[in-house]
Amino acid sequence: MALRNTTRRWGVIAQAFHWVIVALILVQVTLAEMADDLPNGVRKLTLLARHKSFGITILGLVILRLAWRSLNPHPPLPDNLKPYERRLARFSHAALYTLLFAIPLSGWTMSSARGFPVSWFGFFQLPDLVPKSQALFEALVTTHVTLVCVLAAVVAVHVAGALKHHLVHRDDVLRRMLPFTRT
Amino acid sequence: MRSSLLAAALAGTLLAGGGCGDARAAAPAAAGATAPGAPPAAASHYTLDPAKSSLEFTFLQAGAKNTGRFPRFAVTLDCPGADPAGGRLEVTVQVASVDTGDVDRDEVLRSDDLFAAARFPEAHFTATQIVRTAGGYEARGPLTIRGVTRETQVPFSFREATEGGAAVGYMAGKTVVRRLDFGVGQGEWQATDQAGNEVTVSFALRLTRVAR
Repeated sequence: MALRNTTRRWGVIAQAFHWVIVALILVQVTLAEMADDLPNGVRKLTLLARHKSFGITILGLVILRLAWRSLNPHPPLPDNLKPYERRLARFSHAALYTLLFAIPLSGWTMSSARGFPVSWFGFFQLPDLVPKSQALFEALVTTHVTLVCVLAAVVAVHVAGALKHHLVHRDDVLRRMLPFTRT
Repeated sequence: MRSSLLAAALAGTLLAGGGCGDARAAAPAAAGATAPGAPPAAASHYTLDPAKSSLEFTFLQAGAKNTGRFPRFAVTLDCPGADPAGGRLEVTVQVASVDTGDVDRDEVLRSDDLFAAARFPEAHFTATQIVRTAGGYEARGPLTIRGVTRETQVPFSFREATEGGAAVGYMAGKTVVRRLDFGVGQGEWQATDQAGNEVTVSFALRLTRVAR
């Protein structure tokens, strides 16, 4: 299978970006939920430190992913889509990329506002994006959580669309993003 | 004659400073250190100007550098002359005043597993010996945090000045304290991956001199 995209399917690198980010998002939600229930202590610090490190990882991956996307052809949408389906696909993809930037950035900013600098797995420390402010911190918590809810909604549209292509249209839109499949 | 004083303390892991020796015993040594031709200085007693002094610490939390301070602490420095050599330093820190800019974190720091501020409200540093070094001075003596006492050396600089007719001394320095040496970190807090063992304590003090 090719590393680069072709006009028929996504290459290995684009697929890896897609599925690694999917996995990391699931890890992120799990870490956040686990940390939420804990009292302040070492375990909570540990979970949140990983959550922040993985969040920064996602941010970095999304930047690389968009760079890679700009250097490759994209397999086009099937010709038989209705205009609204085409618009929905374009809009939901744009929304996903936007959210994958906005969610980690809101988390990073939120940590800065709280006065807790972010370190990437202890290897290096990121700069604070804003000065410490309790009011800003609280607003960013709301923003971060709200954006995650929006992400969940857009992912639902994305998955529903992929399944519709596969089960209703019976085209290769889903398969061309799956590893180990032929189209 | 009084010995001198001053000291630093710290907490947060904190630590404190050292002192000079007893004034009577230290006086001859200090006099010997005076520059030739300089008139012998009178013994001095310095007290802290809290509004223009700070006692801060930095530590690693989850791999990132964080800072805190102790707003409530007292320092006295007694010296045979105007400078700290041969003097004695006393530092007392109210550990419950710890301020890392986050009330939740401060509460954790005051809890039993860390400072246990209810049981050990004060950290002390008594420098029983203050010596000149190539770069300034070093205060040596017992540092007590959370009921654990260890001999500690704290290097510092000292500068005399006259401000508005008053004699003042500026004392600054920093030292690294390993919090676990003092039991600041029981139970799960003995782990150092999220809260580092090494805490850098720094102080910048303005002392007001009262000649004796």
